[in-house]
Amino acid sequence: MSELSAEARKNRAHWDATADEYQARHSQQLDVDEPVWGTWSAPEAELQILGRVAGLDVLELGCGAAQWSIQLAKRGARMVGLDNSERQLDHARRLMAQAGMDFPLVHASAERVPLPDACFDVVFADHGAFGWADPYRVVPEAARVLRPGGLLAFCITSPVASLCWSLETDLQEPRLHRDYFGMHRLEDGDSVNFQLPYGEWIRLLRESGFEIEDLVEPRPSADARSTYWEAS
Amino acid sequence: MSLSAHARANREVWTRANIEYTAGSAPQKWAQSEITWGMWDLPERELDVLGDVNAKDVIELGCGTAYVSAWLARRGARVVGVDVTPAQLETARAMQREFGLEFSLVEASAEDVPLPDESFDLVLSEYGASIWCDPYAWIPEAARLLRPGGHLVFLKNSVLVMLCSGDEEETAGERLVRDHFGLHRIDWPDDGAVEFHLPHGKWIDLLRAEGFEIERLIELQAPAGVQMHEYYKFVSGEWARRWPAEELWVARKRL
Repeated sequence: MSELSAEARKNRAHWDATADEYQARHSQQLDVDEPVWGTWSAPEAELQILGRVAGLDVLELGCGAAQWSIQLAKRGARMVGLDNSERQLDHARRLMAQAGMDFPLVHASAERVPLPDACFDVVFADHGAFGWADPYRVVPEAARVLRPGGLLAFCITSPVASLCWSLETDLQEPRLHRDYFGMHRLEDGDSVNFQLPYGEWIRLLRESGFEIEDLVEPRPSADARSTYWEAS
Repeated sequence: MSLSAHARANREVWTRANIEYTAGSAPQKWAQSEITWGMWDLPERELDVLGDVNAKDVIELGCGTAYVSAWLARRGARVVGVDVTPAQLETARAMQREFGLEFSLVEASAEDVPLPDESFDLVLSEYGASIWCDPYAWIPEAARLLRPGGHLVFLKNSVLVMLCSGDEEETAGERLVRDHFGLHRIDWPDDGAVEFHLPHGKWIDLLRAEGFEIERLIELQAPAGVQMHEYYKFVSGEWARRWPAEELWVARKRL
């Protein structure tokens, strides 16, 4: 526990306390029989971010209840799911048992991954550690555990959406609520989110040894529905 | 040479701007000893985007009065300046005579450059092709003109400042007044100018598709206490201190 950063400790407590409610509220959207990205469920089958995963060693950073990991394991990936919250991993074990799947789950912060160097072909996150842990720690860790030529893919809140996020309403509004320069930690009382400017993401990825392959900004369809963006 | 309709429209805009501002400001820009970027003159020695340009073949796409070309020529680069507006090139030639610094100037749109493949080490655009030409036309031209391993450097308005600038308002506000999805071409109703802006993801797609690796994206922050630019009034100093008004892309053509 002493190895955890202050933010990781705070977010662990937050997710341990809210995992049950979160999984109940979003199960309809998350527990689907195909991998989908983000709060608007953009289908991987259309975006083809990860491509074929059969036979690959794949790590999910911030797997939550492991809905993504289960889908990729079904498609032949050798999965490892990591999450900072033990309560989230309880939900992962429940869903894995339901699906009849078994693969390793690791209880740790993605800021310090307790796994050896160069043991994965793909490291990915759908939000997860790429919004809830410090990118200055997570990106180098992802680079460390990837084999040369390996793929890092992550879905995050866009920097524009972070600028437009109102702490008062907890909604994105069409106005700039905070400064862009220096954007890093977004404090929300009992949890901490992380965000970087576009250029800083590119700098950090390059400095960690990555080449930038693609940035996909998926647009939800006009009739898209999301349990994350329901009017409350 | 057949020009696109937007190139003809922008030529008219820059013919007027030459009279209103750029011809008058050219001597000062040419006299400047330091290379600087953007409306608030951020020094190249701090950003370190260009490296050593000595003996490199450099082409500036949309050079205007060619002061950036002049800065690089003075540092030993073999420079070609390309611009679509004759009035701007006339000012550039007058400056060449005044400052005793000769380099090639070519009248053309950066969407169709009458120069051979793989003949440059650096393609540069400072608010030239980078906003006034269609990226789906000029980025392939930049790729064609560059030697493998050569660099593409361009400075433009940020995506965010465009999202916060409506067709009617002169200065960017703090509200998003334009859609991000589908952002590509902006026709300004007041003066007929046609600008091109893409979301970050589309820039990355396009650059990768044309054989570039993305090296850097530098979002320029205005220094504390700066005033609005005397002529380019699309953003205030306070706005550009908090949010990026300008961004500088660095890409490298794959070997």
